[in-house]
Amino acid sequence: MRRRHYLRAAGATAAVALAGCAGDGGETTTTAGTASGTRTLTVATYPSFVDGDGSPGAWLKREFEAAHDGVAVEWTTPSSGSSNVAEYVQRKRRGAAIDADVYVGLNTDELVLIDRELDASLFAAIGDDLSHAGDVREELIVDPEGRALPYDTGYITPVVDATTLDAVPETFDDLLDSRYRGDLLTENAQSSDTGKAFLLHTIHEKGGDGYLDYWRGLLDNDVRVLDTWQAAYNAYTAGEAPMVVSYSNDQVYAANEGRDLDAYEVVFLNDEGYANPESTAVFADSDVPDLARSFVDFVLSPAAQDVVPQRNYQFPATTTGSLSGTYAEYAKTPPTPVTLTYDDLAGHVSEWVEQWSRLIAQH
Amino acid sequence: MVPTDRTALSRRLDGARTHAAGVADAIGARGAFLATCCVLLVVFYYPVGTVLVAAFTRGGDPSLAPLWATLTDPFYFGALAGALADPASVPGAIAEWAEAGFPAVRTGLFGFTAFLALLGTAGAVAVGLPGAYVLARYEFPGRETVRSLTVVPFVLPAIMVAVGFTTMFGTNGALNDVLSLVGLSVDVAFGLPIVVAALTFYNAPLVTRFVVAATETVDVRAVETARTLGAPRWRAVVDVVVPQVLPSFLAGVLIVFVFDFMAFPIVLALGGLRLATVEVWIYSLASDLRIPEAASLAVLEAAITLALTYVYLRVERRGGRDTATASVPRVPLLGPPSAGRLLALAYACIALVLYVGPLASMVAESLTRGGSLSAANYAFLLAQQLGSGGARPTVAVSNSLLFAVGAVALAVPMGVSVAVVTGGEGRLRRLSGALLMAPLAVSGVVTGIGLLRGLVFGVDLFGYHLAVTGPVAIVAAHAVGGYPFVVRNVAPLLARVEDDLVAAARTLGAGPTRAFRDVTLPLVAPGVVAGAAFAFAISVGEFNATIVLARDGASYTMPIALERYLSNPSVGPYLGPAAAMGTVLLVVTAASFVVVERLGGRWER
Repeated sequence: MRRRHYLRAAGATAAVALAGCAGDGGETTTTAGTASGTRTLTVATYPSFVDGDGSPGAWLKREFEAAHDGVAVEWTTPSSGSSNVAEYVQRKRRGAAIDADVYVGLNTDELVLIDRELDASLFAAIGDDLSHAGDVREELIVDPEGRALPYDTGYITPVVDATTLDAVPETFDDLLDSRYRGDLLTENAQSSDTGKAFLLHTIHEKGGDGYLDYWRGLLDNDVRVLDTWQAAYNAYTAGEAPMVVSYSNDQVYAANEGRDLDAYEVVFLNDEGYANPESTAVFADSDVPDLARSFVDFVLSPAAQDVVPQRNYQFPATTTGSLSGTYAEYAKTPPTPVTLTYDDLAGHVSEWVEQWSRLIAQH
Repeated sequence: MVPTDRTALSRRLDGARTHAAGVADAIGARGAFLATCCVLLVVFYYPVGTVLVAAFTRGGDPSLAPLWATLTDPFYFGALAGALADPASVPGAIAEWAEAGFPAVRTGLFGFTAFLALLGTAGAVAVGLPGAYVLARYEFPGRETVRSLTVVPFVLPAIMVAVGFTTMFGTNGALNDVLSLVGLSVDVAFGLPIVVAALTFYNAPLVTRFVVAATETVDVRAVETARTLGAPRWRAVVDVVVPQVLPSFLAGVLIVFVFDFMAFPIVLALGGLRLATVEVWIYSLASDLRIPEAASLAVLEAAITLALTYVYLRVERRGGRDTATASVPRVPLLGPPSAGRLLALAYACIALVLYVGPLASMVAESLTRGGSLSAANYAFLLAQQLGSGGARPTVAVSNSLLFAVGAVALAVPMGVSVAVVTGGEGRLRRLSGALLMAPLAVSGVVTGIGLLRGLVFGVDLFGYHLAVTGPVAIVAAHAVGGYPFVVRNVAPLLARVEDDLVAAARTLGAGPTRAFRDVTLPLVAPGVVAGAAFAFAISVGEFNATIVLARDGASYTMPIALERYLSNPSVGPYLGPAAAMGTVLLVVTAASFVVVERLGGRWER
């Protein structure tokens, strides 16, 4: 990580004066460095990973610091719109400082985006150097080069209100049946993780040549494509439609709120659920690469895998981790998890999403 | 001794005052205008330029290829794209079209977006104009409070409006519950009507506020003169009031159209991707880092809205030259029934359903959990407040208010100076007037990327790294987003100020600054207050620029906190905690508007 001189424009005094009264004196993005012999590990992630004491980030920081003397973990959440990765790609392209050592929360298609946009490496290959990399579940290994290592996964699949449907759909082709006309809500694959996962699942089933025909059938059957998971779920809970593309652990929330679980039945079409693994990776520019690697190894350790995925309301990515309590009871795992890997997506995913969205938005 | 001292002091104070006035005269409106241009350059034109340049280059060389590729893509421009790509084919295509019996022409993404914006603008006028009439014509208890609160819908995040509209107008919504009592039902879910209703909800207040501000400076003596000359009341109003109010009305309509043209999250949250707009595609392309395509769309989008602004500016200068010294007297709303009073009552009912309905639904959502009454959502806010690592509600509230006050303090002088300098006739003034409206016309997505590249990444100068982030940058960005409202509210009123009055003040020895402060400014005060209210609202509701510039982990605002609660994994898909924050946002904003306008109202008089 390059440390550079920072000169705040617009008058340093004015900036300090305003900063002093605006907020509770949060830390600045540039770290103090190695003054007192402590080494700082800066980890970039999305805000909800570190929000609150019950977050996976709070646990990771506490435990990793306890296990490593003289190490401070500092989270940074540079959210600038849809994707934090896009910011780092632009930083790399434009020669701006990366200022982080580890990235947490990488989707597989983002890895494809990085390689399409950059000639230089944003992330280093680390898979061979870690003691726990071999624990990652076979079906979740997404990066053939060993840069991105999955630490948890969600399974995306329809959730249906069995109290209003006469029969629950069992296959993708069932969704084309006129008895489910106007019943399915999904999300925009351009901007929503669940929407993109469901689209990729249909591509997994119908192939790059056939998925648009399948979606023409869904459109004829009045599928609704809303922009976010929350918007779609809001319409679902308001009773606008009895099926919504969501996560396989929805009954955990329904149970927590004391709702009728039959109204949140998780359905695995073709006995499959689409795995959307979230990965962690080490920045190639990190100036503490060993520490960064041991952090990733720690995230994949059995102790962390028992805690981090569940705190993140996801599933462990390794064979060693397990869920506990009511969460384990209500979070459903698909009989056959499927996902498209880096090699499947590379060179295709942008075009797939673009063709699909042009089909939906027929003006 | 003492009197002498006092005289000396007062003489010195007078001297200082004269000196200050002299300095202000020396700097004047042009100096303030130049300072405004500098702020715009750093916080808007340079950052946005770093992105939009991609529309005009290919492989590092100047090229119009990206723009041309967009213009000739039928998905974006429908039949027009084909005509541009191959002009020779047009006659043949028209003949084929006629032969086929004139079927619907494909209009593309831009055509649909313009269509949706037209519908949204029509809705805003249909709801906003009667509202302005009621507020301008009638006196009733709480009139000023209602006027203050008109801008509140502006600050609400789309997802909260979506919740309110689904609960109110959805298949199982409150409206259908009522209608079912008389055996009726409406099915508007995911359709154009509910999207247009939501756009109306957001933007009708714009029309109302612009028009009300203008009516407060209408010179009533002309109406009386016309009536003395035998004109019936309606005729006097049409001939005298309408020309004076028209420019402000059109300014409101223009901004509503621009906003509707760039509408994005609310359209997708209620209508779905089938009703996608241009801005949706800009967002999608930008997320995929296909910057040249995104920039091309943004350039064309801005070109359309700026061209409309240019056309509007021709009209703005024709507002007539009458200066208000006596405004239209209002009649009591409560009184013996008359046609006007009954219509006003009917309007109040519609406004109540459209506004109070969705807002109350959001508040109700914040007070329920799993279908029953619960304080759990506010307990969540409290836990965020007391815990560590999360977004604290009180910090979000105080940041939002601080930024908004700063943004208004910056936006008002910026807006007034731009209105003064670009006012008057002339093509160059109109052109610069239109270009200075660009912060409204350029895609928020592109502005966000520009701020990231231009200000957050910074530039290397003389061995130092210059980056502008944090509170100062946020305030400046908010002011840039809000100042066009000050300009468009003030400029039409400014055009009506009689030059004679100002000239008279100058003859009596007032410097230009003093003449402006004492003569011109009071005459345009309602416009300044209305513009300030919008600048405040824009700041409180702003999301795109704030999230990019809030780099220190402590500069989050209410909409950002709401977004974070929305994506908190422990909350899951439920919207209660976000609705609780939305309610806080609503209450804080409403209270600020009432306070701000009370202060502003005192100054107006």
